[in-house]
Amino acid sequence: MLEGPNGQGKTNFLEACYLACTLRPLRAQRLAELVNFGADAARVTAQFEMRGGDRAVEIEIAQGRRVARLDGKPLRDPDELFRELAVVAFTPDDLSLVRAGPDLRRRLLDRAVQNRHPAQLSDARDYLRALKSRNELLRQGAPDALREAFDGPLAQVGARIRLRREEILRELSPFAERAFSQVARGEATLALSYQVAGGDLQPIVGESESALSARLAQGLSARLSRDRLRGFTSVGPHADDLSISLGEKPARAFASQGQARAIVLAFKIGEIENLRAQQGRAPLLLLDDVSSELDPERNAFLMRSLAALAGQVLLTTTDADHLVGALRDARGEAGDVRLYQVRAGRIQAG
Amino acid sequence: MSERVHDPIARLAVLLSRLPGVGEKTAQRLAFHILESPKEYARELSQALLALEHDVRLCSRCCNLTAQEPCALCRDPLRDGRLLCVVETVPDLLAIERTREFRGRYHVLHGALSPLDGVGPDRLKIKELLARLSHDGARTESDAAGASSEKIEEIILATDPTVEGEATALYLSRLLKPLGLRITRIAQGLPMGGDLEYADQVTLARAMSGRREL
Repeated sequence: MLEGPNGQGKTNFLEACYLACTLRPLRAQRLAELVNFGADAARVTAQFEMRGGDRAVEIEIAQGRRVARLDGKPLRDPDELFRELAVVAFTPDDLSLVRAGPDLRRRLLDRAVQNRHPAQLSDARDYLRALKSRNELLRQGAPDALREAFDGPLAQVGARIRLRREEILRELSPFAERAFSQVARGEATLALSYQVAGGDLQPIVGESESALSARLAQGLSARLSRDRLRGFTSVGPHADDLSISLGEKPARAFASQGQARAIVLAFKIGEIENLRAQQGRAPLLLLDDVSSELDPERNAFLMRSLAALAGQVLLTTTDADHLVGALRDARGEAGDVRLYQVRAGRIQAG
Repeated sequence: MSERVHDPIARLAVLLSRLPGVGEKTAQRLAFHILESPKEYARELSQALLALEHDVRLCSRCCNLTAQEPCALCRDPLRDGRLLCVVETVPDLLAIERTREFRGRYHVLHGALSPLDGVGPDRLKIKELLARLSHDGARTESDAAGASSEKIEEIILATDPTVEGEATALYLSRLLKPLGLRITRIAQGLPMGGDLEYADQVTLARAMSGRREL
């Protein structure tokens, strides 16, 4: 537990932890933003307990580029790291995602997929490159033959990404829906589903990757004239969404702020429980000052869930007494809590 | 060139340090090494460098880099003229040659389609490929200069397994289809001698989705 007033560096610490686990920024948009203002480079070192014993991860960011080392050796294949590490982060930004635009919900889903399938990361990069290439060709008015050449990889990687998203949602929905029913006793039930852009591209149970890829390619050519006018590709996983409903109503329009927060809380708990069920161990959990954004009842539920979690949790707060109190209330004792004070970028035990 | 007289050693060191994998310290060490070597070495080295600039050109047939026209691979009568392997770069060609597995001929595209980098079909050696395929068969004694004749039956698309490489392969396959040749794509998957357990996830995932019937 890291306690300190705002602006002391608590979130920066979680940002560093997330970077060490995923090699990507948590809240920052670009790697370069992680470097202290006026400094040339940023460096994060972390010690992980992995199956093979303690391992040291070191990441340096300079000039917008990232160099990662594992036990002093350059990390050629980031998968090497991800295979062993799962991390779930929960920040105040997440609390708005129910009612925000679809990109935050896609990111929520993709981060959950990444914990289960590290390959999603490089596939997402390939997909983005294929998508940008196709959009560029649409805008240029390039010949069909050239554009179609990029439809191929776009549909192929797109199908892979989409099937993994659907799969993760099938896995974690039951956990998330149950968590929601516990946190929002008696309120409407939560339902999560994968919402596909394009009526002809709806999910088909048991569809193979190659069949979906063929369907996506067809979907792309069916919308060609419209896409050409807009200079933008209108279907594919980049246009899909995570559909969230309460009762029968879309949460995006009908959920109250409290409900919207409970939904995100339930999703994160569902993700953690799914990882524990699938991989046999809990992920590292990073919580950034979330308690202050939740009402007492939901906070108590979060604390009960944390107390029941076998894994490690790093959380920040401006009021440790309040949080320790809530933890104690949750299960009669605070458990193994270590408190650190964060002041002006320095962390001290106490 | 500036009017200033450059220190020749510093000049050489600066030029050497532009080479990949060579830092400034190494460049300086190399420059002093050349200086201290027998005089013929510097002369031979400079001639070799000039020869790169003067003599190396693209083979008019396969677009490989060569000092002779046509290149050694196109002239070799033992190569199987029925198989044509299309690669992105000359290093790719050399990599396939090292396997000693492929006995056909090559065509080097000198890149892959990449709209984000402004590389379209006209920037690649695709025209040359088409010309080669349409001349093919009609080739006669005019090639007696050295190129042994070829009657291409199969085209193997060996571009990289990247978005751009895949798109290039797809583009070529559609472009070449009307010619009625057999068109194949090199397989992707696990490296031999590797252990499934140690394969990276992307390769393993691709190997799974590219599985074949036994």
